[in-house]
Amino acid sequence: MTMCGEILDVVARSLLISSSATLLAAAWSIPASVKLASSRSRWRDPVVGVFNALVGFPAVLVGLLVYLAFSRSGPLGWLNLLYTPQAIIIGQAALITPLFISLSYELFARAIDNYWELAVSLGASKLQAYGLVVKEVLGEVLVVVLVAFARAIGELGVALLVGGNIKGTTRVLTTAIALEVEKGEFDKALTLGLLLLLAIVVVAMSSRLIKRRLS
Amino acid sequence: MIELRKIWFSYSGDRHVLRDVDAQFDRGLTVVMGPNGSGKTTLLKVSSLLYKATKGKVMVDGVDYWSLKDPDKLRVRREVIYVHESPRVIRGSVLDNLAYGFKLRGLREGEALREVLRLVELLNMKHLAEERAVGGLSIGEKQLIALVRALALKPRYLFLDEPLAHVHLSKRRSVVRVLEDLKDSSAIVVSTHDPLPLLSVADEALLIDEGRVVFRGRAEEALRLVL
Amino acid sequence: MNAFKVAAAAAFTVIVVASVYCMLVTSSNGGVLRVATTTSLYYTGLLDRLVDDFSRAYGITIHLMPLGSGQSLELASRGDVDVVLSHAPNLEKRYLDGGFLVEGRIFAFNYFVVLGPKEDPAKISGLADPVEAFKRIYDAGLRGEAVFVSRGDRSGTHERELALWREAGLNVEGCEWYLDVGSNMVKALLVSDNLGAYTLSDVGTYIKLRSEGAVDRLVVLINEGEELVNVYSAYIVNPNKFKVNYGMARLFVEFLTSDECQAAISSYGMGEYGLQIFHPAKGVIPMLTLCWQKQALGG
Repeated sequence: MTMCGEILDVVARSLLISSSATLLAAAWSIPASVKLASSRSRWRDPVVGVFNALVGFPAVLVGLLVYLAFSRSGPLGWLNLLYTPQAIIIGQAALITPLFISLSYELFARAIDNYWELAVSLGASKLQAYGLVVKEVLGEVLVVVLVAFARAIGELGVALLVGGNIKGTTRVLTTAIALEVEKGEFDKALTLGLLLLLAIVVVAMSSRLIKRRLS
Repeated sequence: MIELRKIWFSYSGDRHVLRDVDAQFDRGLTVVMGPNGSGKTTLLKVSSLLYKATKGKVMVDGVDYWSLKDPDKLRVRREVIYVHESPRVIRGSVLDNLAYGFKLRGLREGEALREVLRLVELLNMKHLAEERAVGGLSIGEKQLIALVRALALKPRYLFLDEPLAHVHLSKRRSVVRVLEDLKDSSAIVVSTHDPLPLLSVADEALLIDEGRVVFRGRAEEALRLVL
Repeated sequence: MNAFKVAAAAAFTVIVVASVYCMLVTSSNGGVLRVATTTSLYYTGLLDRLVDDFSRAYGITIHLMPLGSGQSLELASRGDVDVVLSHAPNLEKRYLDGGFLVEGRIFAFNYFVVLGPKEDPAKISGLADPVEAFKRIYDAGLRGEAVFVSRGDRSGTHERELALWREAGLNVEGCEWYLDVGSNMVKALLVSDNLGAYTLSDVGTYIKLRSEGAVDRLVVLINEGEELVNVYSAYIVNPNKFKVNYGMARLFVEFLTSDECQAAISSYGMGEYGLQIFHPAKGVIPMLTLCWQKQALGG
């Protein structure tokens, strides 16, 4: 493969892996935030507090924990997931979950306070009420998704430890950058860094556009 | 008739906001009075079936509401409307907002519009109805929109939380007149910390303090009490 | 609650489908050989080249993981890779004794070099004995005339450096002039160059950086002595302990010691750097085994 093709390959893989991770994290984070936001339990605030605190959890530690889980000697070793793109997806999804829940919890808490009660007070069914909440927060949820995606695509620890930086399968932008830095190829590392920035900016711009459409 | 039987209410284990409250709301206009923080809003939200009481029962036409199944609850709730003190609007135009309650009931826009337009005329807010986005409106304008949105549905039970708080003085009389028209066919419950403009047209009055009902009786008696 | 139940069910379905998909995709992974490697073999590009040759000849896909000796051996001890390429005899011995590795084969070597500033304040240039050189650096360090940069990352190079201090009978821990930078060779070299410090390096990384003009201040002061022999070995992870692709692993290790591969090792680097970076082990195995044993026991 040519050098240019190799770089494009890494960019495409990064986008694919991190967007899958974001979707996966969304699949459990959004229902969890809605559940949390509509809960009246006295455990709600402590739980939210824990998620808030976990936002700063270092990616390398998440990587190590996921590695230990997926290692052949680990509890999930039988899944044979270590050093596969799927393992990175799961690891990154776990990494961004606290951020995802913290941000969308605030959003849903506000929206449920405002719109859920409004809808119900005007005679909406539960489905209609949730419909209104979703409609009203969709644009902002999109921003949350974008922030989570940016965190996923920009992280190194999980991709390195769980993916193994294997050329052609699990080498993503950040691990490629780390590799080039270690090799002393700073020019190549900077080029890849620019591409990473470009990828994030393009995704940010397009989601802004979608948000404007929605509202 | 909506009937509150020995209602206690507290937010997530805190002190009780409502203590052993009994009340009945039937056709006519009831004014709920009390100082700030006395539990007026909570009383209205429990009565309008938004909040479930910690203890006690809410009976609607003799049936315990919270023991009903979901579809039955919805059927009952469609006749009970609550309007927030701080007005809440949804994204879109003023007309989107005014028609929202009808949309929830699956009514066609044409039917909905007729009643909406009658009220718009009555409250002299035609210019407002043509506004495309609600985002930039003042809080008083938003409250008018929220009121019209609820009134147009002609519900059997209407709970209004401080409906005049943000409405401009020039419009208060018209709002009171609209309520007066509606009170023969519906139960209207209005909470206010400033009862004078409403007591003259009200039938019943309720005074609560620190979560307890301290007065329940005819509006005229209450008027004497306040004056 | 209906809407929430729908959402929860949807999320659950997504997760289940995703994990089933993951399992299906990866269960076919039996045809891949996982090789964890020390970084110096990888960064110079040698290993990519050898793996390409091997894959072409045998039609076997290799997943190469450049991780450093310490991490590679740790992964091997958990059964997460099939083959380890390492250059840290004392660490290797520990894992061999633990029964995690089998069939070690030495396939290449080169020399560590002691680098330092041109001015050489500790006066070690030309010394035949690296242990003596370390003693002089220590003294100069105490006098405040020299600084030493250590990688501190449990790599093969770091292990060798620690062994040299031990052989010299010196304890450098906590010394002001001894900087533990906790990072890879490139960063350690750049720091050394900036500070005009002494350091121990593998020859490949140094030559590569020097050819780019990144470490002009550093010169090779010592490059002989059996303590500086850098032995590269290949190990198969014990198939009795873990599910290892033993057949393929065996083929790969044998390929590394084959005549064809040994020739490729000796010619690598001549075109790009005008210098031989690695030496084939063929023909000098007894000497290298001796060095390995000495380093393994000394460490």
